[in-house]
Amino acid sequence: MEYFLRRRRQWGNLVALACFWMSAILVMVLIVALLGWLVWSGASALSWSFLTSVPNETGAGGGIGPEIFNSFYLLFLTLFFTVPLALAVALYLEEYAQPGIVASAIQLAAEALATVPSIVMGLFGLLVFVFVLRWRFSALGGALTLTLLNLPTMMRMTQQALHAVPGSLREASLALGATKWRTIIHVVIPGAIAPLTTGIVLIAGRIFGETAALIYTAGVSVSNANPYDFGLFHPAETLSVHLWYTHAEGVAVDAQRIGSGSAVVLVAMVVIFNVLARLIGNFFRRRTSGR
Amino acid sequence: MHREEAFALWVLRACALFLVVAMASLVAYLGYQASGLFTIDQVSLGEFLTSFRFDPDLNHVGAAVFLLGSLSVTGLALLIGGPLGVAVAIFLSEIAPPALASVLTLTIELLVGIPSVVYGWLGLLVVVPFVRATSLTSGFGFLAAGLVLGVMILPTVVALSLEALRAQPQSLREGSLALGATRWETICHVLLPAARAGLGVAFLLGIARAIGETLAVQMVIGNASVFPHDLFHAAATLPTEIVLDMAGAPPGSLLQHALFAMACVLLGISLLLVLLVRMIARRS
Repeated sequence: MEYFLRRRRQWGNLVALACFWMSAILVMVLIVALLGWLVWSGASALSWSFLTSVPNETGAGGGIGPEIFNSFYLLFLTLFFTVPLALAVALYLEEYAQPGIVASAIQLAAEALATVPSIVMGLFGLLVFVFVLRWRFSALGGALTLTLLNLPTMMRMTQQALHAVPGSLREASLALGATKWRTIIHVVIPGAIAPLTTGIVLIAGRIFGETAALIYTAGVSVSNANPYDFGLFHPAETLSVHLWYTHAEGVAVDAQRIGSGSAVVLVAMVVIFNVLARLIGNFFRRRTSGR
Repeated sequence: MHREEAFALWVLRACALFLVVAMASLVAYLGYQASGLFTIDQVSLGEFLTSFRFDPDLNHVGAAVFLLGSLSVTGLALLIGGPLGVAVAIFLSEIAPPALASVLTLTIELLVGIPSVVYGWLGLLVVVPFVRATSLTSGFGFLAAGLVLGVMILPTVVALSLEALRAQPQSLREGSLALGATRWETICHVLLPAARAGLGVAFLLGIARAIGETLAVQMVIGNASVFPHDLFHAAATLPTEIVLDMAGAPPGSLLQHALFAMACVLLGISLLLVLLVRMIARRS
């Protein structure tokens, strides 16, 4: 009897372990199949003229040049606002604020802001920048909406980076007679530079792929005057918005080719940002550990 | 010197204040726009939340179709992505050889960063034809949306469950194995109960990601403002209806007010989820 019970338990164990292996294999096959399919279908769509020419709304043969430009332009603008703002709030919370009502209100606001779905943030951007400020669809409105969307995440990463700087470094600097602000500028921020840079690159990947918040803020068209327009108040359709728009609303006859090409460019950028973040992390780790 | 210190502190304070003001004005602005539905258009809150009739041209703006649609799609996604995600997390932390685990973890981290439109695009070209072929319908609908969302929340669920499982002390596992329990019994009776708070958070954040997702769902759900009687027919969710109708809604109209009110419902659900996560985190 006891023998059979032990056999049953061992069989149960084997079956369960096999199930775990199978679910892992299923997910691996899924990932490889999806990414492989994406690259295989996208590679045939890619060409130099596709990457550089202007889109064609109605006929065939349109490219994604201005969309790639706008994606990087909005990415740059968004980082320009997000990084200093996140650093400032994180510095205030980590280095200055006393625990209390004010600090927890700021923390709570950040957590609440982090949960806002991106389409809801897009509607807020529409209200503020299009309805109230009357900018119409603009690169600046889109970038500011993305700033609000990504500020909480960037802030949390900055807080963690600052938190990891050892207190003894601050004390040493203060003991040498440096003021608190000088200590922050010359000791704390340089000490946190490695995780900070990794965080910025990771958030850059998120900004690059964001779509829902941009449809009603940066718009679904490129600037009429000049497709490669640095103007802050011109519409700026990004690559991810373009991928959606060609399928949801557009009438381009070669939508399939545009979609495949745009998707593979987007995924390639995400991979590049991820690898870059890892490389930067390793580079700083090697430098600071002295090996 | 002292002026520099004081100035810096004021700048930092102003930035922190900006964050609070931004969040407060987001709630206030959206709430104000939505309130027009109840004050100007005289729609009752009950009708808005429970009526299944959405026909703005005839002054009917019941959002129940979309609310129920959002909840159903999210539930379906959780049914697909939740158990699979936890199983993969258990595999990674308890069973996989270290080399395989690190490769798989890296790939899953990469999946988190893939933009939602790309998931929608994959859904449009892989999932929808697959559903069409197996069910002899258009392929657009709840099932396609649930499958796409299930794959989308998978990395979130895996990453957070993995964190919860790895945080459990090694002595728990050793104690259970030393008592003669098999690995499966250790996982099922010791590890999972010990990590249940973290697993709950993983599910909640998976739900949060699924319910706010707009474009990946919009591309595959078919977009019909009726509640379908099965999984294979076109439907809609709160975010998909907002993104489709907003462009054609005249400022100050009934439709626009209704869309902002739907955004508020979505915001409310998201805030509720975070409140739950906070409560769980505080208790454990």
